[in-house]
Amino acid sequence: MPGIYLHIPFCKHKCTYCDFTSFPDRLAFSEAYMACLYKEMELLGKGLGKYTFDTVYFGGGTPSVVDPKYIYGAMQQLRKCFRLSEKPEITIEMNPGTVSEQKIALYKKAGINRYSIGLQTAIDEQLAELGRIHTARDFVYACSLLKGENFSADVMLGLKGQTEEDLFKTIELASRCGAKHISMYALTPEDGTPIYTDYLNGELPDGDEVRRLYDYGCMLLKERGYLRYEVSNFAKKGFESRHNLNYWRRGEYVGLGVSASSFLFGKRYTNTFDLDDYMKCVLSGFAPVVESEDVEKEDAKFEFIMLALRTEYGVSSAAYRAAFGSDWKEDFGEAFQKMRAYFTEEGDITRIKEEYLYVQNTILTEFMNG
Amino acid sequence: MAKANRNLRNFCIIAHIDHGKSTIADRIMELTGQVSKRDMEEQLLDSMDIERERGITIKLAPVRMYYTALDGQEYEFNLIDTPGHVDFTYEVSRSLAACEGALLVVDATQGVEAQTLANVYLALENDLEIVPVINKIDLQSARVDEAKQEIEEVIGLDCEGCPCVSAKEGINIRDILEAVVKQIPPPEGDTEAPLKALIFDSYYDNYKGVILFVRLKDGGVKVGDKIKACLSEKTYEVTEVGAFAPFLQPKESLLAGEVGYIAASIKSIEDVAVGDTVISAEKPDTPPLPGYKKVQPVVFCGIYPLDGSKFLDLKEAILKLKLNDASLIFEPDNSVALGFGFRCGFLGLLHMEIIQERIEREFNLEIITTAPSVSYLVHKTDGTSFYVDNPSHLPPVSEIDYMEEPIVEAEIYSPPDYLGSIMELCQDKRGVFKDMTYLDARRVKLEYRLPLNEIVYDFFDELKSRTRGYASFDYELVGYERSKLVRMDILLNGEICDALSLIVHEERAYPRGRTLCENLRDAIPRQLFEIPVQAAIGGKIIARETVKAVRKDVLAKCYGGDITRKKKLLEKQKEGKKRMRRIGTVDVPSEVFMQILKTNKD
Repeated sequence: MPGIYLHIPFCKHKCTYCDFTSFPDRLAFSEAYMACLYKEMELLGKGLGKYTFDTVYFGGGTPSVVDPKYIYGAMQQLRKCFRLSEKPEITIEMNPGTVSEQKIALYKKAGINRYSIGLQTAIDEQLAELGRIHTARDFVYACSLLKGENFSADVMLGLKGQTEEDLFKTIELASRCGAKHISMYALTPEDGTPIYTDYLNGELPDGDEVRRLYDYGCMLLKERGYLRYEVSNFAKKGFESRHNLNYWRRGEYVGLGVSASSFLFGKRYTNTFDLDDYMKCVLSGFAPVVESEDVEKEDAKFEFIMLALRTEYGVSSAAYRAAFGSDWKEDFGEAFQKMRAYFTEEGDITRIKEEYLYVQNTILTEFMNG
Repeated sequence: MAKANRNLRNFCIIAHIDHGKSTIADRIMELTGQVSKRDMEEQLLDSMDIERERGITIKLAPVRMYYTALDGQEYEFNLIDTPGHVDFTYEVSRSLAACEGALLVVDATQGVEAQTLANVYLALENDLEIVPVINKIDLQSARVDEAKQEIEEVIGLDCEGCPCVSAKEGINIRDILEAVVKQIPPPEGDTEAPLKALIFDSYYDNYKGVILFVRLKDGGVKVGDKIKACLSEKTYEVTEVGAFAPFLQPKESLLAGEVGYIAASIKSIEDVAVGDTVISAEKPDTPPLPGYKKVQPVVFCGIYPLDGSKFLDLKEAILKLKLNDASLIFEPDNSVALGFGFRCGFLGLLHMEIIQERIEREFNLEIITTAPSVSYLVHKTDGTSFYVDNPSHLPPVSEIDYMEEPIVEAEIYSPPDYLGSIMELCQDKRGVFKDMTYLDARRVKLEYRLPLNEIVYDFFDELKSRTRGYASFDYELVGYERSKLVRMDILLNGEICDALSLIVHEERAYPRGRTLCENLRDAIPRQLFEIPVQAAIGGKIIARETVKAVRKDVLAKCYGGDITRKKKLLEKQKEGKKRMRRIGTVDVPSEVFMQILKTNKD
């Protein structure tokens, strides 16, 4: 079922690896921005009357940095403009350095029932290096406030000087604090971010080392009962992120806010990345979309494969046939035969073999046109 | 006997690269009103894109000009531009044969260079009158007197009163023209004798057919005349004659002593070889002029389209280039690894590079080139012998009695500071020391015998880097010598890649194989499986490296906003793959085929 994403582009301090649209110095704009977000919901909601949404996700930036009353307000407005399913999954991203008892109380009141906490690492020196505003202790505190709630922790791989022991400590901490879900991402040094300099100077672990950490991390997570259901996502049974699963099933979604993207009626839309433009557009009653792309059928087929192969569920021939009316192993006949050795096939389902999940781009390019 | 025009001067310009030859030519044309400044593109004579970019001249370009001298008389000048690079020495010798004199341009800041010397000797052999010209006198670092002294000492030319100019600033250009009038003799020749014209260049024009660049030694030629090319014995009817202004300018006739062009609906450039003599078809017994030595290609390489389906486009491109460049030799070739392509022969490495660049640029084709090779003389045990320039065509070891390889005599000019490292380099390249001469306190000439196959790899680059660019180098093919040569094959994932095979000296095989495997290991991107890279001689593995399997190639996050981004990323990755050739099971980037050029680790 479709989901709704809301982008909150504010944060206290930009992390050294951050490539997202966020404005650390413009928190004062948050009230105006949230007003625009409400307005955008109104604009978009009109055309989507037939949709029932199953998930809501507040991402950022740091959504937990703005006054929680705006999150509460956003949920009220959202319920006004969109129809939600009976038991929607409503997630908010949080920075452990920005939580308080009152905040969480208000979130709960707003209907939020899932939290995604940016831990990244349990090693404070590494947190400081990343420009994070919190310590491992802050994470422990945040978790104590969320006792009994469904929350996830983000963990990073490939940090400067990161050892297997560091990773052990991090996963152990997240697990002990009660995370039901753990996302384990390899740090991606993007051009233009401060950490890119470290990368250029060869100070970050190389691909082989990251892979070693990843394999080790997977083992630790498995031991602790977190099952991998996507390349970077691990969950206790039944705690998979429904919102994200929808992306990988190539489901539709609505993105609200600056830089957010939507996938509706076979088209991909992207909102402007400029905060002022975004507000101007929305206030004048226009969609703040700067890019829209019709996804051609061939392209759609590739997207389907590309996304499904990220997951533990793999490509389902039946689901593919339902979507496109053809057999994917025939549509991608040549590539499939060539790459067959890297897949496991179980009846209807085809997955990338475990040991090749982390080199899937190389496999996927074979499935591209041309 | 009717004498040739006494007011005619045919000359060329000899200069080292960068010493300002083309600029001087431009200034002379400007001063004689040949080209209005407005129309003039910078360095008019260098008309090919590549020529202008690299600041070198490849093709000859003649120009006719009129000049009224201080003596009040009007003179006709034919300036024949010459290439400056060692690969094109043959072109220089061709233009020299069409002249009575040469301007020797020397950069006042740099003095005489090795290349200049080689061409000066060539000019002296051709009995040309040489007029020294000192250029770039406007520069702060100009050492006019030293340059003059150097010319006098090294070459033995009198520099008393020679023109000292700045072509860039247009200073004293008239001095050059006066020196041409006074010092260079008019051509000899009998305008009434039977026609004898030397073909010194040619190119193919889509409308007029082959255009012959000729220097008339005797007689005359006009439209409607029947002419004959001595070598091919083909006859043609002249459709147009004219002068170079510098664009083709038709005129009624050409007479003995003159330089000009002939068009005669000639379809094939092969039938009118450069160096051949054009005579009158009515006087078929006229003895030809002594031509030039036929140019032999010395460097060979395979050229393949990156996209295998573009073979016909490549063929068309090479055929078109061949029309204007008789020295380019080619034949169809077929490689297991690279498919259909051509084996091409070149005059040298620069010539090779320029042809490759022209194919890519002028015809918009992406190509793969294999490492350059030379032509080996193979003697088989059954007593037969033949030349092989493609390592993969070498017969099995058991059938080879012995092999010979081409040897050059090289002259290296350098400041004495670098002698040690040059000698070390030559030693490394199997060179045999011949002689060493101090030309003056700052310049030494080293003479070495070297196998050509050592030079075609990275000799020149190495020489330049070891001498910080100070050394210059020239060579001449002197023959073949028996040598212990073996074919080294490269195996990728257990399969021989024929396009990477090469012929090496037995003693060099081990280090060469090792370096090559190391270079290939670094150049071949990691793939889903481990790839052994091996060097082998006759089935025996002599070196091995491994390209490790790729361990991480994944986008960590892929949520709503990342999907489009991820697709773009994968497309980029796919593009990269397109630039590769699949050899057996291995994707190999096209640059790799040139990797074996490098004998050193990067």
